[in-house]
Amino acid sequence: MANETNDENVAGQIRSLLAGGLKTEVFPRADDQDSVAEILGRLREAGGDISAGLVIAGFTLQPVEHGGIEQACETCMYYLVHRRFCELPELAVPVEPQWSCRLWRI
Amino acid sequence: MANLLWLQGGACSGNTMSFLNAEEPSACDLVTDFGINVLWHPSLGLELGENLQKMLKALTAGTLALDIFVFEGTVVNAPNGTGEWNRFAGRPMRDWVRDLCKVANFVVAVGDCATWGGIPATAPNPSESEGLQFLKRGHGGFLGKDFKSKAGLPVINIPGCPAHPDWITQIVVAVATGRGGDLTLDEFQRPKTFFTSFTQTGCTRNMHFAYKVSATEFGQRKGCLFYDLGCRGPMTHSPCNRILWNRQSSKTRAGMPCMGCTEPEFPFFDLAPGTVFKTQTVMGVPKDMPSGVDKTGYIKLTAAAKAASPRWAEEDIFVV
Repeated sequence: MANETNDENVAGQIRSLLAGGLKTEVFPRADDQDSVAEILGRLREAGGDISAGLVIAGFTLQPVEHGGIEQACETCMYYLVHRRFCELPELAVPVEPQWSCRLWRI
Repeated sequence: MANLLWLQGGACSGNTMSFLNAEEPSACDLVTDFGINVLWHPSLGLELGENLQKMLKALTAGTLALDIFVFEGTVVNAPNGTGEWNRFAGRPMRDWVRDLCKVANFVVAVGDCATWGGIPATAPNPSESEGLQFLKRGHGGFLGKDFKSKAGLPVINIPGCPAHPDWITQIVVAVATGRGGDLTLDEFQRPKTFFTSFTQTGCTRNMHFAYKVSATEFGQRKGCLFYDLGCRGPMTHSPCNRILWNRQSSKTRAGMPCMGCTEPEFPFFDLAPGTVFKTQTVMGVPKDMPSGVDKTGYIKLTAAAKAASPRWAEEDIFVV
């Protein structure tokens, strides 16, 4: 329960930051392994700073369509459907199904 | 009584170590129960120097019968096609291999190096290594694509890095007991009995594969290793999750991704940095799909499976 409450709090914080106009690096998307590695490296350097993590990962409150594919959290391999959580170790944040980030992978 | 000779080319001896750990049947069973006469083996042979040379010459001259010739390791051709980098018993190993293959009833290539070149043949391949009848996916190799042993079969390829001990001994027994003709081989000359199903067949993580829940760290018991950690189980032909290693485990069961070592391209992506233990993607979609699955179907299936996944699939259900 404590976990769920904490997740809700963090999700609310993320929603506020993004709705408040936080400029994130939505593009370029992580299209190949080199760009994935580069973004992950920057996330590790950012540590647990949520705001910096959102910027680096290119978070949005809506799905981003790229290469003809809608890249929403709900179809991403790191998304836990029931917990509504991104399990990518470098992010590990609560997310909503319709959010998106440039590290999306299926 | 079937005479068996085992030689090593460009090898790490991993397949010999694997062979010596065989259980069903064991290396000793080959001799005591199946009448196999091990003429010489790098770790078991008694003859040295001139005595070994004499025996090899008797084999190539046909005065001593060679029923099964097992080769481990690559055929080393360097420098400049001479094979001088790998000399054995007074001459380049490649010359022994060519002559012995001419007189052997059956030729068995054990391990990736002997089958398709394996790690030594990875670019830039300084030892000019090749497998007996393949170089990676290319048919031909050292002996040429038309080679057939005296029994009429091409080289029997038992790949793996290393090959599972029981794959080796069971094929050797089949050949030694006159059932070589029953062996059916796939397009890469692997016995179909072992190499038709996938590493994924029997994987304990299949539930997580089905519901698209990913493992994100090595050793994690929850989650599938294909999606993020580079597991090649869904597109690798091997029985690693049917004929278990040490009778109890496999890489994927221990939380490590399959590296696809029974396929000709191993090691994949020429070991470029960032390609090992990391699923390669193009715009977020795996570069290598599970065998027989296309990109569109994969995306549709993944979206549907994820939406339908039960809560338990996200939890560690293994309590011990």
